[in-house]
Amino acid sequence: MADTIEWLETIGKNAKLRHAAAEELVHTLAQAGASDALKVAVASGDRSALSVEFGHKPMKDEHSTTGPGHEEEPDHDGDKHVPTKPHKPDHDRPSRDR
Amino acid sequence: MNATSLPSSNETRHGSLACVGMGMTLGSHLTPLSRDHIEQADVVFAALSDHIVELWLQRMNPDVRSLQPYYAEGKSRLKTYREWVDLIMTEVRAGKRVCAVFYGHPGIFAWSPHKAIEIARAEGFHATMEPGISAEDCLYADLGLDPGRFGCQHFEASQLLFYEHRLNPASYVVLWQAALVGDWSLTRFHTGSPYRQVLVDRLSEDYPLDHEVIIYHGATLPIEQPHIRRVKLRDLPETELSSQETVVLPPAIALKPNLAMRERLAELDKETGFA
Repeated sequence: MADTIEWLETIGKNAKLRHAAAEELVHTLAQAGASDALKVAVASGDRSALSVEFGHKPMKDEHSTTGPGHEEEPDHDGDKHVPTKPHKPDHDRPSRDR
Repeated sequence: MNATSLPSSNETRHGSLACVGMGMTLGSHLTPLSRDHIEQADVVFAALSDHIVELWLQRMNPDVRSLQPYYAEGKSRLKTYREWVDLIMTEVRAGKRVCAVFYGHPGIFAWSPHKAIEIARAEGFHATMEPGISAEDCLYADLGLDPGRFGCQHFEASQLLFYEHRLNPASYVVLWQAALVGDWSLTRFHTGSPYRQVLVDRLSEDYPLDHEVIIYHGATLPIEQPHIRRVKLRDLPETELSSQETVVLPPAIALKPNLAMRERLAELDKETGFA
């Protein structure tokens, strides 16, 4: 029997399931023996029900440095930076990894 | 590393780096090529926006190392990102096949993938970036916008305040990371209403205050729907924003024909026999 992560992957790549009405998807999950947490989350449209199964772990999602601004100001972070330039693709280099 | 020990430019060393995008929605967006990088890697580093997506990633490789613990309140994110690059490069230099996985597209609003690839290539390692489906891609689909219709400008919200960008209110304007607008310190993960008021003051130079703006967040899990809210520009300071939400300003004025260019093109058409 698929677990909740496997079910999420299945739903994510199945056009019919991904866009199914909540009641229809809950019915499919119930027939397949999916977890109560997943069925509640689908029925309510609220993912917080999944915290019963996976806990609640907020994630930081910032990956940028406020655009290029900081890199153009070398002293701001006490480090020497220069504006970034697009680097050349290395497709022409021989590779032992390929 | 001593620069004199670097290999010549036509020599590639053992150890490699692939920076790949996980896409935005679990199960829906990961490309076959990125998945193969993940599955074939000796070490996988993860910078994802969702705990459950990270658990999914752990199913694909036995050595997935989350980069989340390097964030901290009050710590410059630039320091965090440099630590990430150091972690990644340590494994590349050890001869490992390394995959660094970022949510969405690894090259969009992300400092460390570009930096790690730059360093890896400079040291003679094979390094590549594989695109992923980004928040921007989802935004076009979920909001039904075509950036080609009126044009589309994208700005990191803080950068719009730090620099004298020229906004085009005849096009779409998309503002990213508006929840932490105005944070020059890189130590905060959220600013607040007074900072959003400064943003609105800047936008009001080009838009009426009753202009409707869209607040958008795409689906991370495939059991979710996109979150789409509409508010007046003047109400943006009092509207709570999450770090994952993006502000979209639809066009406020009509495109203005460039008559001089049209005349010039008409002349060219005559000269080339198209008229």
